[in-house]
Amino acid sequence: MAATQTTDRLGTLAERARAIVGPVWVLSDPAQLRTYECDGLTNQRERPGLVVLPATTDEVAAVVRACHELGVPFVARGAGSGLSGGAMPRAEGVVIGLARMREILAVDLPNRRVTVQPGVTNLAITEAVAPHGFYYAPDPSSQQVCTIGGNLAENAGGAHCLKYGFTVNHALAATVVLADGAVAELGSAAPDAPGLDLLGVLIGSEGTCGIVTEAVVGILPRPQHVETLVAFFDTVEEGGETVSEIISAGILPAAVEMMDRLAIEAARAVTHMDWDAESALIVELDGPESEVRSQFEAVARICSAHHAREVRVAASPAERAAIWTARKSAFAAAGRLAPAYRVQDGVIPRTRLPEVLRGIAELSERYGLRVANVFHAGDGNLHPLVLYDSAVPEEVQQSEELAMAIVALCVEFGGSITGEHGVGTEKACSMPKMFDGDDLTAFDRVRGAFDPDGLCNPDKLLPTPRLCGEVPGFHRVHPVERAGLGDRL
Amino acid sequence: MGLVEDLAADLGPDRVRPGGPDDAIGGRVPQAVAEPLSPAAVALVLARAGRDGLAVRVRGGGTKQAWSAPPARLDVVLSTRALHRLVDHAPGDMTCVAEAGMPLAALQVAISDVTTHRQRLMLDPPGGAGATLGGVLATAAAGPRRVRYGTPRDLVIGARYVTGDGLAAKTGGRVVKNVAGYDVAKLLIGSHGSLAVITEVALKLHPLPDAARTVVLREPDPDRAAAFCDAVRGAPVTPALVEAAWPEGLVLVRVESTAEGAAAQVERLRDLGPIQELDEPAADALAADLAGRAWAGTGPVLAVGVVPDRLPGLLRAAAAAGATLVVRAPVCAGELGLPDDDPERAARVVGAVRALGGSVQLRRGGEALRALVHDEPGPAVRRLEAALKDGLDPHGVLAGAAR
Repeated sequence: MAATQTTDRLGTLAERARAIVGPVWVLSDPAQLRTYECDGLTNQRERPGLVVLPATTDEVAAVVRACHELGVPFVARGAGSGLSGGAMPRAEGVVIGLARMREILAVDLPNRRVTVQPGVTNLAITEAVAPHGFYYAPDPSSQQVCTIGGNLAENAGGAHCLKYGFTVNHALAATVVLADGAVAELGSAAPDAPGLDLLGVLIGSEGTCGIVTEAVVGILPRPQHVETLVAFFDTVEEGGETVSEIISAGILPAAVEMMDRLAIEAARAVTHMDWDAESALIVELDGPESEVRSQFEAVARICSAHHAREVRVAASPAERAAIWTARKSAFAAAGRLAPAYRVQDGVIPRTRLPEVLRGIAELSERYGLRVANVFHAGDGNLHPLVLYDSAVPEEVQQSEELAMAIVALCVEFGGSITGEHGVGTEKACSMPKMFDGDDLTAFDRVRGAFDPDGLCNPDKLLPTPRLCGEVPGFHRVHPVERAGLGDRL
Repeated sequence: MGLVEDLAADLGPDRVRPGGPDDAIGGRVPQAVAEPLSPAAVALVLARAGRDGLAVRVRGGGTKQAWSAPPARLDVVLSTRALHRLVDHAPGDMTCVAEAGMPLAALQVAISDVTTHRQRLMLDPPGGAGATLGGVLATAAAGPRRVRYGTPRDLVIGARYVTGDGLAAKTGGRVVKNVAGYDVAKLLIGSHGSLAVITEVALKLHPLPDAARTVVLREPDPDRAAAFCDAVRGAPVTPALVEAAWPEGLVLVRVESTAEGAAAQVERLRDLGPIQELDEPAADALAADLAGRAWAGTGPVLAVGVVPDRLPGLLRAAAAAGATLVVRAPVCAGELGLPDDDPERAARVVGAVRALGGSVQLRRGGEALRALVHDEPGPAVRRLEAALKDGLDPHGVLAGAAR
C-alpha cells in the first residue's frame, strides 16, 4: 500500500515536473537514474525515484512546490563530487540537478563580486576574473568540477582557507528556494544588513535548508607575490612541530600542507618527482612582496632549526605548480598503493599534530591496515587515507572501523569529525561523538525552522533512527510540545 | 512571593537583586536583575520565565542595549557579568575560549603576553572597555579592523548557548576549521539576544604585527578621496585600517606587517596620492578619535553600508546632511553621527543611503528614527526569522529583537 502510494506520488510529480521543465529534462528511466545514485562517497548508493533538471529559479521553485505538496523528499545536486554522501538521494525521492544552471550572470569588478548560477564550477569563477587580476579564494581540490551550489551547501574550504577562510567568508548574498518552494533573498549587496544571518547558517547546512539558485560571491585581487617551499624531515614529529612554530612566530601562511612517507610514495608513483622523506611540509606565503620575502626567510630558518634535511624553494611558477601537483595527486595516487582506500576528514588543534599522528600510527598497526596521511597542517585538518583491499570482506569492515577510530581520536583531542567534507550520510551517526542530546536537539530545531516537513535532503547531517537506529538523548520536538500544549515527561 | 525571591530561591540570594533606574532599558525598569553563575543557572532563569510568562532581556556590559528595539515588556534583566572567566587559551593554536560576560578588554589583556605570545582578538567594536564578548557577538559589533580581519562572524569558531526554553547547547568547536553541524553561532551573532543566551565563545586569534605605519591623505573632493580608497584596495598593501572621515576629507591608512613590509607598503601608498606619514602617538590619537567621532556628539548615530562604488555618493550624502561620517572604506561600512534630532535631516540622510542601495541601522537615537530606519524583510525571510524564533525561544521569553 505504502509502495503504491509512493509510486503514485512520484508519477504525479513526474507529470507535473514535465510540465514545469519540459519532458526531456525529467529522467525516470532506471538506467539514467543510476548516474545519480551516489556522489563521491561511492560506497553508499540509492537510486532516486526521479531526476529533474530545471533551468531557472522559477522552475526550481515550482518543482520544490510540487514536492512539498506531494510530500516527496528532494535533494539538490551539483557536480556530485561531495565526499560525505550529501547528494545521496532517497529511493522514493527526487534529485534536483542544477547542471543546467551554469551561467555567470554578472561580473562586477569595481565592487569585487560575481553573480553566478549554482551549477557554475568553482574554478570557472576564477577563470572569468583572472584576466583582470582577480580570483575566487576558496579552492577545494575538486575545484575544476565542483560547483558553487555544492560549495555553499558544504561550506567548502581548500588548501588556502588557513589565511583566506571558507565559502561562508566569501559569499555575500544568495537567492534560495526554501523547502516549501518559496523564494527568499538572503544576505545583501551592502554590508551590515539588519536581521538574522540566515545566509550564514544556510552555508554549510548540506542542502537541508533550501536550494541556492543564484549566488553573489566576493573576489580578491591576486596577491602581488607568492613564495612556496617544500621541506623534508626525517620524522613526522619534526614536520608537525615546524608547523606550530611557524604559526607561533606570528606568520600566517597562505597554505601549510603536510604529507607522510606513504603519501609521498603514492605521489611519487604518479608524478616524476624525487621526494623521499618521512614527511614533507609545503609552505606557501602570499601578499605584498617585501612582507612575503621577509617572512619566507623566517619560515626557511624555522624549517632548518627543526632539522629539515632539505628545503627546496620553488624558483618559478612551474616549480610551484610541480609542488602542488605532488600534493594534489596524493589522493588519487593512493589507488596505486592498494586496491581501495577511504579518505577521512578530521580536525585537531594544530599543536596536537605530533601526538595525533602517533595515535593514528598505533591504530594503523592495531588494525593491520596502512594509513597514508595528507593534511592541511596549518589548520589541523587531517586527511588520512585508509588503504585496504575491497576484495577482502574483513578489510572492508576493518577499514571502516579504523577510519571511524581516527575520527574518534580527533574528537578526543578537542577536534572535529569533519573539517570540510561535511557530515552527510557518512558521519550523521558520528555526530553524537561531538554533540550531546541538547546540542542535537537545538540543531534539529534550526533545521525544523527551515524545513518543518523534513523533505529537504533528509537523512543528512543529523542522526536519524532510519540511519543510525535509536539515538539516545536526542528527541524531535513533538508538534504538541511546540504548540505549548503539552510537555515531555 | 515576589519575583526577586523566586529567582533567589533558584539561584541563591546573592545572584538576584531588584531592578533599579540604572537597569532600565528603553525606559522600562525590570523587576529583577539576575546574575547567574553558570549556564545551568541561566537555564533556571529562563525556565522560570517560561513558566511565569516573564520577559527577559540579556545584558552584558550594557553598552549596546540601544542598538536594538526596546522591549515591549521587561521583567528580568539577565546579566552575564558573573560569567567572566577565560576558559582556555591555546597560544600555539591561536584560539581561546571565554565566557560570554568577559569584557573584551579583559580578554585582550589575558591572552597577550609580549614575551611569549603576541596575539590578539582582532575585534575593536565601539562601546569601550565595558563591552563584553557576548554583547559584541549579539550585536555583531565591529570596528575599524574589520577591513582586514572581518566581523564577529569571521572570528567565532564555536559557542555555548542556552535556548529560550533552557536547553544548554553548543555549536562549532575549538578548532579553526570545522563543518560539523549547523553553524548556530552565525544565527546568534547579530540576533540581539532574541534567540538564546550566549554563555561561552570560542574565538580565532591573530598575531600582533611586528610593525605599523600610518599615513593620512587630505582630500576634500569625494570622488578623488573615494578613488584613493579604491586604489588602496587594489594596491599590494595589507592595511589594517582605512578610515575615510567626512566632511573633513581625511583618509587614514595604517599598514601592519614586518618592519620591511610596512616600510615598503608606505612607499606604495606614496604612489597613490599626496600622503603624509604620522608618528605613532599622533597616529594612535587620530585613529582613536576617528573610531569615536560619529559618537562624539549627542545626536543620533546610524550604522551605514553601501557597495564600494557608491562610496562617493555616501560621502556626499553625509556632507549634505551636515553629518559626521567615518567609513571603513574597503568594506564601505561605517558610522554616521547626526548633529541634532531634526527628523527631516535624519529622513534625508536615510533616504539618500537607501537610494544608493545601502543599509541603515540605528545605533543611537529615538524610537521615531528607529521606525524610519526599520527595514521590513520580504515574506519568506520574515517567516524564516519567525520560525527560528519559535524554534529556539518557543515560549517567547527573550525580549530581544533582531531588527
